[in-house]
Amino acid sequence: MTLTLTLRTQPPAPVLATSLIPERLRGLNASAVAALDLRCGGGTVAVGDLFEVSGAGTEEEKLVLAGDLRRFDWIGAGMSRGEIEVPGDVGAWAGAEMSGGLLRIFGDAGARLGAAYPGARVGMTGGEIVVSGDAGEEAGAGMRRGLVAVGGQTGPGAGLRMLAGTVIALGGIGAEAGLGNKRGSLVSGRPVRPLPGYAFATRFRAPTLVLALRHVRQLGLTVDDRLLRGSWARWSGDRTELTRGEILIFDAEAEETD
Amino acid sequence: MTGFTLGDTEVVDTFAEAFPMRFTRLVITAATGAWALEAARSMTGFATSVIGCKCEAAIETALAAEHTPDGRPGVAVLLFAMDREGVGKRILERVGQSVMTCPTTACFDGLAGAERTVPLGRNLRYFGDGFQASKVIAGQRFWRIPVMAGEFLVCESIGVGRGVGGGNLVIGAGDEDAALAAAQASAEAMRGEGIALPFPGGIVRSGSKVGALTSKSMPASTNHQMAPTLRVQVGDTLVPDGVAAMFEIVIDGVSENAVRQAMRRGLHAAAAAGATHVTAANFGGKLGEFHFPLTELREAP
Repeated sequence: MTLTLTLRTQPPAPVLATSLIPERLRGLNASAVAALDLRCGGGTVAVGDLFEVSGAGTEEEKLVLAGDLRRFDWIGAGMSRGEIEVPGDVGAWAGAEMSGGLLRIFGDAGARLGAAYPGARVGMTGGEIVVSGDAGEEAGAGMRRGLVAVGGQTGPGAGLRMLAGTVIALGGIGAEAGLGNKRGSLVSGRPVRPLPGYAFATRFRAPTLVLALRHVRQLGLTVDDRLLRGSWARWSGDRTELTRGEILIFDAEAEETD
Repeated sequence: MTGFTLGDTEVVDTFAEAFPMRFTRLVITAATGAWALEAARSMTGFATSVIGCKCEAAIETALAAEHTPDGRPGVAVLLFAMDREGVGKRILERVGQSVMTCPTTACFDGLAGAERTVPLGRNLRYFGDGFQASKVIAGQRFWRIPVMAGEFLVCESIGVGRGVGGGNLVIGAGDEDAALAAAQASAEAMRGEGIALPFPGGIVRSGSKVGALTSKSMPASTNHQMAPTLRVQVGDTLVPDGVAAMFEIVIDGVSENAVRQAMRRGLHAAAAAGATHVTAANFGGKLGEFHFPLTELREAP
């Protein structure tokens, strides 16, 4: 049975939702979950004061967080397994420093999606974050492994100081993406002008990307067939680092001339 | 020795003797089915007998684009060797030389979830000379090896299963053309999921026996008992009157039942295609742990 938290009332201040991850809720019944405290502004608030709780934390480790959660930050942060499904929007730092599991957001995500904590060098080390809408600035910052896939656009600075891993923005990555990227892959489904630290390498059909796109399609993102069969421009960078990172940009012009 | 007849075909009361082997299934995809087939043919070339080629391999089936991991047309290949280490060495050599070199190809594990694996991309990546990169997609690690046209994508490791090698049928008729036609029909009927027919066209002209009459160092030599030209010359011929040519079909399969069912399909197809005589090769039951009596194949598939 899936554990479902449905928002009843908006919190009076931003909420730190780090404890709402499947591995922490496993084995707890609805009343135990409702009794948990969440940081809210300078104080705390009980889960049960904000959410209608149904189900229980089970072996399947699936958690559904329903409602407008834009005031809830750090959803899925630090999770290592299980699945969180959010039918709506979430606040900042969703999936920060995840190491495993799946965070599925059907609305928009705030800033620093899947990013490193403030001052930390390494962000996500595993797992998958899939967002149907847009994401804010610095998605995937400091990422070392894993996947962040966004159906819409990412804000400025996606993949900031990435070590490795993959950030996909089907609607296009924002400006200044991949600054300080070492080995990471940034993928833009729309044209974008990379930073001067990147240089154009070639156009090619990217077999790994096709696998990744087919995978996120299975996870519910709408992926245009043109992205699967088309060619991609590879820009290598950041040349201020190892020049082993990449920005892959869908080659829409080539597609149109085919 | 006649066990039973299928129409005009005499089926000998004997059995095929087969051995435990280890196998893997590789899925090769490419931009077109033709290129996938080129790679598969190259990879399964010179892989007829584990004695002489160190492995046995064959195309299992063509795969439509909707049934492959990357949505491109593909081919599934089965490769058999005597042990897991042998599978690992042979698959690495053959993917490196025959698949990575073939335009537009990519390689995937066709036995995902197998308990045992052998490294593939994990070792092949070194061809990338430090420029290779890995990606984990849906929990599986892949290697991207930069090559002269794009990248060669290959799975980190590949599953190894326990299979059966050496199932066989020997098909004879009154002349070579008739025997070959029956053997071809039999091979065609046998092909399918879980089956590899490693010899050319699935058919063996030079069936062998273990050892040799004239040498202690020869691991195998011609099966003189089934050579029609020696029928009078040797005292232990197994070529019956009226049979002028015999062809063997060697069957490797992913399980004992897969081999048995392939033999059943092949036996009935051979009979329908004009074989006058069907028998099987064995070693007196002393060498192989799997025995496939032809009398158990009487029921049509």
